[in-house]
Amino acid sequence: MHFVPNPELGNRIITLMAALVLVLQIAAVGQRWIISSIRIFAVQSFLLGAIAAVIAYFNQASHIYVVALLTVFLKAGLLPRLLERLVGRIGIRREIEPLINVPLSILVTGGLTLLGYVVAESFYHPEETSARAALGHNTLAVAIALFLIGFFTMVNRRKALTQVLGLLSLENGLLLAAISLTYGMPLVVEIGIFFDVLVAVMVLGILVFRIRETFDSMDVSKLRKLRE
Amino acid sequence: MILLALLIVPLAAGPLAFLLRRRHMMEVINLAAFAILFGMAAVLVAQVLRNGSVSLWNGFFYADALSALVVLLSAFVALVCSVYAVGYFRHDESSGVLQEAEEVGGRFGVQKLREYYTLTPLFVFSMILVALANNLGILWVAVEGTTLASVFLVMFYGRETSLEAAWKYAIIGGVGLSMALFGTILTYYSAYGALGTDTLAGLNWSVLAENAGHFDQPTMRLAFILVLLGYGTKAGIAPMHTWKPDAYSEAPIPGAAMLATGVLNCALYALIRFYILSSKCLGPQFGSRLLILFGLLSMGVAVPFILVQKNFRRLLAYSSIDHSGIMVLALGFGGPLGILGMLLHMTFHSVTKPLLFFCAGNVQQHLKTDLFRKAKGGLIHSMPLTGAAFLMVTLAVTGSPPFSFFQSEFTILRAGFSSGSLVLSVLFVCFLVLIFSGFLVHIANLVLGDDPGVPQANMCGWKRYSVAGLAGVILVMGFWIPAPLFRLIQNAVGIVVGG
Repeated sequence: MHFVPNPELGNRIITLMAALVLVLQIAAVGQRWIISSIRIFAVQSFLLGAIAAVIAYFNQASHIYVVALLTVFLKAGLLPRLLERLVGRIGIRREIEPLINVPLSILVTGGLTLLGYVVAESFYHPEETSARAALGHNTLAVAIALFLIGFFTMVNRRKALTQVLGLLSLENGLLLAAISLTYGMPLVVEIGIFFDVLVAVMVLGILVFRIRETFDSMDVSKLRKLRE
Repeated sequence: MILLALLIVPLAAGPLAFLLRRRHMMEVINLAAFAILFGMAAVLVAQVLRNGSVSLWNGFFYADALSALVVLLSAFVALVCSVYAVGYFRHDESSGVLQEAEEVGGRFGVQKLREYYTLTPLFVFSMILVALANNLGILWVAVEGTTLASVFLVMFYGRETSLEAAWKYAIIGGVGLSMALFGTILTYYSAYGALGTDTLAGLNWSVLAENAGHFDQPTMRLAFILVLLGYGTKAGIAPMHTWKPDAYSEAPIPGAAMLATGVLNCALYALIRFYILSSKCLGPQFGSRLLILFGLLSMGVAVPFILVQKNFRRLLAYSSIDHSGIMVLALGFGGPLGILGMLLHMTFHSVTKPLLFFCAGNVQQHLKTDLFRKAKGGLIHSMPLTGAAFLMVTLAVTGSPPFSFFQSEFTILRAGFSSGSLVLSVLFVCFLVLIFSGFLVHIANLVLGDDPGVPQANMCGWKRYSVAGLAGVILVMGFWIPAPLFRLIQNAVGIVVGG
């Protein structure tokens, strides 16, 4: 007797986990320590991998398991470790100086989440009552919110490393959109994406280190020589 | 087969140069690879003209007239730049600039040169892959690949300013490309209902283009906006252009010339592909309005910076922002005339722009400055060839007859008037005139005037012949376009407009 998973249950689990991912993202905005930002990012990536696994299980889309594994290994395991080592090497564990203070930042994040829902609303087709449409609606909103908040983090934070973290969490939003909307884009693409994320981080890592070497600081606002 | 060969040659040349020890051998490998590449691009053009399209591995790689045009232009730019690079880096080496760069980077020996000669073929490989990939995801990966390879080119000299430029380039490019990826994902999502497939072919452009009429419209709308912002960042259209002046003025000249032409073409190529999808799904109106807005904005942003520019390398970057604005605007005007103007402009731009960079590079290497103030003018006395070429190419780039930009800009203007947007067309002409005057005044002051007593420049043959040869090509192109090339462009127009 073959066990057929109940898709309704799957949707609930996915929505719950997507909500958790969003909460973590908002928590990262309020975070003042680089190390804890990195850890939050790791947990968030792990959850994302779990979402991928759940989607793969409930929809019998076995190729998404590969995405789940890659996410957990690369984004929740390898990347945070690399970043932590970088932090150790540069020796900055101090708090981050955001441009906008924490309470206000969280307020902005709330606004961005709302915006994500407004944008996602326009894709909602009530006439399509299939589970997929409803799922797409909720997770797309979370994905857009993650994307916007990641963008906001990049603008708000001045440290090179936190900007990289912002970029990475922005990419997490993309990944969520890719797996939940389309049940995984064709596999070649996902491998390409992960490869690219990794290489991008390597480039940024080198860059961060070199900036440190030459400027004795990781403050991006000191990069002010090239101006009109 | 030809598609695979086009990809393998640059991909093999990079690691090969990495293994070599002597500077001479690395130069030979690069020159040979790009010469072969250009020959193969010509073969691809011939095949595409004969058969309409070429594909490989069930359509995983796919080339039609549009891709063949971009491949041909990329190969041309790579070849020209590799010839100039030989002379440029020899000069750098003899004047001690490279040694300085190596000290900053903590390296020694021919390391720096090896870095350049290894990365450039990989850079070119990604540019070719952009044009040949049928899968929109692979297309995105390839565009990201051009960024990764070129970040190292931007920080080549290892100065404080180069690190700053590279950082800006990597971060802005990274954000831009993630927007493009989001757009790609949403495009796939909007096609999901129409195709209902998750096979490999589901993201293939040739499959999507056939079914674009049935896509989900609101999703496609958002997807196109994101793609426009994303690939627009790579093309450097305003307001996402801020990385451009820094990156162009910090990269070594041959690298900067490839950034300004090859990468620009790739980004615009991706934009055209999505424009075709969106106009099939939403009608041409939606995309056009956005494109016209961003195109005119880019030209408008470039005007004041060109008028008051103090640094001639940054001047080139603003000229590039202006030209990408013109091309995006032409795409927005649309219709057979607008697209023809755009593709002609892209062709002429790829041929002309490298010479502008080479002249600026010669001047910079001779005078050891890139500021107008320190250059003092009268260059025609100390560097007759470069000075004359600089003046000529300035006239060409600003669109004065008899040079070819006049034709393409005139075509775009006609497209603008015939599409009924009178105000926009007049604005377009105003911007062109302002940029023409600003650019010409700057370069005329630099080149003409009394002899300031600067010693004669001693240029090696590589630099001399690449400048003279390219100047010859530009002159000829003003009066005569090879018939097969024009047929290729016309076929590409057919793909964008009707296909």
